[in-house]
Amino acid sequence: MKAHSAAGKLQGINKDGPWYEAAYVVGITNALNVVADSLAIAGAPLIAPVEEGNADSRIDALYSEIRCFYDRPDVPAVFRILAQDAGYLADFWAAVRRAFTDNQLSRRFKEALAFAASLTTRSGFGTSFHLAEMRRLGVGESGIQEVLGVTQMFSSYTKIADMLQLEPDMGDIAPVDSSPAPGGSSKA
Amino acid sequence: MPTVRIRDASEYPEATQKLFELAKSWFNYDFKQPPAMSRVMAWDPEFGAPHGRAMKRAAAAGEFTRAEKEMIAAAVSGINACEY
Repeated sequence: MKAHSAAGKLQGINKDGPWYEAAYVVGITNALNVVADSLAIAGAPLIAPVEEGNADSRIDALYSEIRCFYDRPDVPAVFRILAQDAGYLADFWAAVRRAFTDNQLSRRFKEALAFAASLTTRSGFGTSFHLAEMRRLGVGESGIQEVLGVTQMFSSYTKIADMLQLEPDMGDIAPVDSSPAPGGSSKA
Repeated sequence: MPTVRIRDASEYPEATQKLFELAKSWFNYDFKQPPAMSRVMAWDPEFGAPHGRAMKRAAAAGEFTRAEKEMIAAAVSGINACEY
């Protein structure tokens, strides 16, 4: 991990902001996947999803946002399961939306990152969901193959490194971003 | 510590040492000693060379930049709990 963080910084992503964004995407992607893969099983969800058009206007508003964000006519089952607690879904969805919105990293790239994270964790939901999102956002088949290849090859390198218990030797070669936290000031 | 002795670059054949120079341009960094992973993969060039070519083909700039792909690799490594 330290080798590729350093390599990415040496290749030009040398500010910390994009790395924080990437970490948020990987984290929230995994959060979606663990529930979707375990509970939102197509045809037989283990927890009843809250259907659209229910009496709670807060949920209908959230569903409307989700449909709009993903430009699709339905709300993925994972969100409908979380809607059993409207307040929880509201906060969780706000985090998902924030993580995937264009910022220092593009939404297109964030979907690629989520696809790689889902492949790596063998998430059936995440792999198909983020693959579809990549295509919807304009990633071509060659771009998909690129992400597939990187994910596969570095799944090999990581296990070789682990098997031989290699110690990080590239972590200190990357430039350090000394800027303060957003809205903060530099250390005196 | 590693379960094998990671050989110094100077312990490899001359042809392999020339390949280590490529690591400098790939990472855009003037290493005093090639990264341990480069030296591990050089142990058996019949494995390391095609593995490395496949990696470079996938990680080269295309629809996504090289830097973006390093970020994806970092995510994959992090998920696999690989500190290296």
